[in-house]
Amino acid sequence: MTSLAAHPRGLTFNELKTFCALTDGNLNRHLQVLADAKLVVITKLTSRSRRETRCRITTLGSKRYIDYLAVLEQILQDAAERRKVVALGKDPRVNSQG
Amino acid sequence: MDDLQQALSQIRLIKHQVARSTQFRGYGPRSVAFSGLLALGVAFAEDAWYPDAQHQLFASLIIWTSTAVVSLALSAIDTIRRSRRVHVEFASEMLHIAVEQFVPALVVGVLLTAVLVRILPNEGWLLPGLWEIIFSLGIFASCRFLPRPMFAVGVWYLAAGLCSIIVCGGQKSFLAWTMGLPFGVGQLLVATVLQVCVEKHTDGI
Repeated sequence: MTSLAAHPRGLTFNELKTFCALTDGNLNRHLQVLADAKLVVITKLTSRSRRETRCRITTLGSKRYIDYLAVLEQILQDAAERRKVVALGKDPRVNSQG
Repeated sequence: MDDLQQALSQIRLIKHQVARSTQFRGYGPRSVAFSGLLALGVAFAEDAWYPDAQHQLFASLIIWTSTAVVSLALSAIDTIRRSRRVHVEFASEMLHIAVEQFVPALVVGVLLTAVLVRILPNEGWLLPGLWEIIFSLGIFASCRFLPRPMFAVGVWYLAAGLCSIIVCGGQKSFLAWTMGLPFGVGQLLVATVLQVCVEKHTDGI
C-alpha cells in the first residue's frame, strides 16, 4: 500500500513484486483482497503482444491508508510518551521527590 | 534512537513520500479568482483615475505591491484553511511542499525588484514582464503537484511576460494593463483549472 500510495498513477505487477519482495502468488492474493475491499484497482492491458497487470490505489484506498498511518503514528507517539514517563518514574531523583 | 522513535521517523518518511505524490488541493478557486478580478480592477482604476502613475515607477510599485500583498495574504489564508480541511492528516506536509515549490519564485521576484529599482531605476518598465516570467516559473515548478492543465497557465504567464517586455519596451513606461491583464486573466485561468479539475473531485484525502 505504501508503494501504491506513493505512485498514484499506478505500478505494474512486476514493479510491485520488486518493491514488496513477494512471490507472484502471494502478491496476487494480497492484491485480490485489496481489490475486493475497493482499496486498489487492477487493470489488465495488452500492449505489443505483452500482457501487463497494473495496480492503482483508489481515492478510498488513499484515504484509508492515510487514516491508518495517522492511527499508527498516534499509537507509537503514545507508547513513546508512556515509555518516557516510566523511565522518569524509575529515575532516583524523581522517586526521592515523590 | 530507540525502536519507537525509529518507527515514528519511518512513518514520517512514508507520509512525506505519499504527500509528494499527492495532488495538492489546497489552492482555493475563489481566492485565486478574487486576486484576478482585483488585478483587473486595479489596472482599470489606475488607467482611469491615476494615469500619471504609469510614468512614475515608485507610484506604480506601491500600487502593484499593495495589490500583490492583499492577493497573497488572502490566498495564503484560504490555502491554509482548505489544506487543513481537505488534506487533514497531511496538511502540514502538503503545505510545506507547496511553499517549497512556489516561494522561491516569489523571493526571486522581490530580490530582482529591489536590485532593479536600486541599480537601474530607469529600467523599471521591465518589471511587469519579469514578474510574469518569474510567476510562470513558479507555476512550472508547482505543475507536478497540480492538475495537468496548469501547465497551460504557466505558458500564458510566460507569453504574457515576453509580450509585456515588448509592449513596455516601446513606451519605456510601467503600463497598468501590462500588469492587470496578464495577472487578471492568468489568475482567472488558474481559478478555472482549480474549479474544473480539483474542486469537483475533492472528496477528502
